[in-house]
Amino acid sequence: MKSNLFNWILLILSSLVLLFILAPLTGMFLHTSGPELIETAADKEIQETVWLTLWVSFTATFFSALSAVPLAWLLARKKFPLKKVVQGIIDLPVVLPHSAAGIAVLGFISRDGLLGKVADSVGLSFINNPAGIAMAMAFVSVPFLINSARDGFSAVPERLEKAALTLGASQGRVFFTVSLPLAWRSVMTGFVMMFARGMSEFGAVVIVAYHPMISPVLIYERFSSFGLKYARPASVIFIIVSLAIFILLRMISLKKKEVHISHDAEP
Amino acid sequence: MLSLRNINKKLGNFALTDINIDIPEGEYFVLLGRSGSGKTQLLELIAGLTIPDSGEVWINNRNATFRKIQDRQVGLVFQDYAIFPNMTVSGNIAYPLHCLKLKRKEIHEKVSRIAEDMNITDLLNRFTDNLSGGELQRVALARTLVNHPKILLLDEPMASIDASLKEDIKRILRRLNRNGLTIIHVTHDFREAVSLAHRVGVIHNGSVIQIGTPDLVFSRPANKFVARYAGIRNFFKVKFFPENGRWKAKCENNLVFNISGNNFPGEGLVILRSNDVKISSREPFHRYDNCFNGVITEINPSEYGMEILVDAGEIFYIDLPVSEFKLLQIKESSAVWVTFPDEAAIALPGTG
Repeated sequence: MKSNLFNWILLILSSLVLLFILAPLTGMFLHTSGPELIETAADKEIQETVWLTLWVSFTATFFSALSAVPLAWLLARKKFPLKKVVQGIIDLPVVLPHSAAGIAVLGFISRDGLLGKVADSVGLSFINNPAGIAMAMAFVSVPFLINSARDGFSAVPERLEKAALTLGASQGRVFFTVSLPLAWRSVMTGFVMMFARGMSEFGAVVIVAYHPMISPVLIYERFSSFGLKYARPASVIFIIVSLAIFILLRMISLKKKEVHISHDAEP
Repeated sequence: MLSLRNINKKLGNFALTDINIDIPEGEYFVLLGRSGSGKTQLLELIAGLTIPDSGEVWINNRNATFRKIQDRQVGLVFQDYAIFPNMTVSGNIAYPLHCLKLKRKEIHEKVSRIAEDMNITDLLNRFTDNLSGGELQRVALARTLVNHPKILLLDEPMASIDASLKEDIKRILRRLNRNGLTIIHVTHDFREAVSLAHRVGVIHNGSVIQIGTPDLVFSRPANKFVARYAGIRNFFKVKFFPENGRWKAKCENNLVFNISGNNFPGEGLVILRSNDVKISSREPFHRYDNCFNGVITEINPSEYGMEILVDAGEIFYIDLPVSEFKLLQIKESSAVWVTFPDEAAIALPGTG
């Protein structure tokens, strides 16, 4: 009887959380009519911002992954001085207010900043440029990729890597043929999480680049200039596109053969 | 072939200490020790996965202490085989060949040949998740041997397979060794050592205690630890003393053994193999130097037949084949005689 009551309490509390997430989204969908949605989808500005948001976030994630995934492997496998400090630094963007993160990135890429000066010397500017937007997106979202990939690499038994070494593989071959394929699911989850987080970033991006406009900035602009009614269809369009992309990416990443890793042996 | 010289290696709270082992080409060497005794660490050190803090590893008369893992020509089969779950059996076996960048055709030929040799041709296209322990063992061996290592290192190769398959694997290992492969096999089971090894090394707490032929190590164990490994259960704490020109050992319960040898200092242990002690229901016609009467306190079935416990002032463990046990017609509380020759009583002075 007691356990029954406990189950009911659990069910009610869980439902409340789900309701809390679903109610505003459902409300937004219900308040947007079909013709409104079609009209907004046909809007060239909307199309351009959605496309810009997607490709900039994807590019930011892709290029970040080139260095973030090896770093994740290092964190999972190697012991080195100040490792905990490094881990803390990686988590820092998650706890910073995103506007503050934007200010920090702006300082770095503006003409007075380190990277800005280098770019300026070859005639480039990150301000109000997709490259600057990508920087802001990557800054706030890269911890998701690193942490997920690190957990994935940690779950790969070290003895499999050792076995590969004794079979004559170089460290690089071990990484690409054993560690990465076995941690693939977690790496892809991190990739999708970083991509998603980058796409939805507003605070940091709006400080670095109001234009060209990405979807979260456009939604904000429509809301502040025209009100809720005009911001709503743009939001719905963006949510639908985001969901479609996530489902597609998850399907691609999970299509790979599921690999069972045995952890039976003593280390 | 392989020479470990004064190897020391600290691993957290544990350390391999002053390891010296010489293994000639073609030898089957079994390293015997409990889990946590440093067996696996020593194998990893030979394979090059770790570097010793001091000392040297020599392979084929060359100092290999700092040589790359890939250049040592040493194959290591891990305890749980470490088969790559993201590859098929064929992919696993071909892995070291891909590392050598061999041509596809050559790889295919070598994989087919070794698979046939290990009797796993029908498994080649399968993924490894549903393979049995014995099949995984063969795949791991094939993967390691396809590259023709000079030394094969085996970490507890029988630990995860059914008893019925152990003989198959032993046959394969004996054949490989007969064909000239040097094998170093670590295990906690002395029976594996007896059935496979040319020589045995016993390792305890990171130090090698005794090295020798299985016969020597198990009949003349260097200390109580090795004796326990050899399956010896008769341990007697004694004081050694000379009497009428012979050395004797007095147990705590005043039982006195005649022992062979001389000049034993003070105290120590006497150990007896269970099958060196004879038992009879009457005073034996042919009695050895040591003969005591006592009472049977327990009779238990054992892997050798029957285990009889006799209280003759000290408890003696005696192993009998079932046929012999039936002939004796003894039961618990029966009065019996136990007898054993003085050379069967192995004196371990200063231990206990």
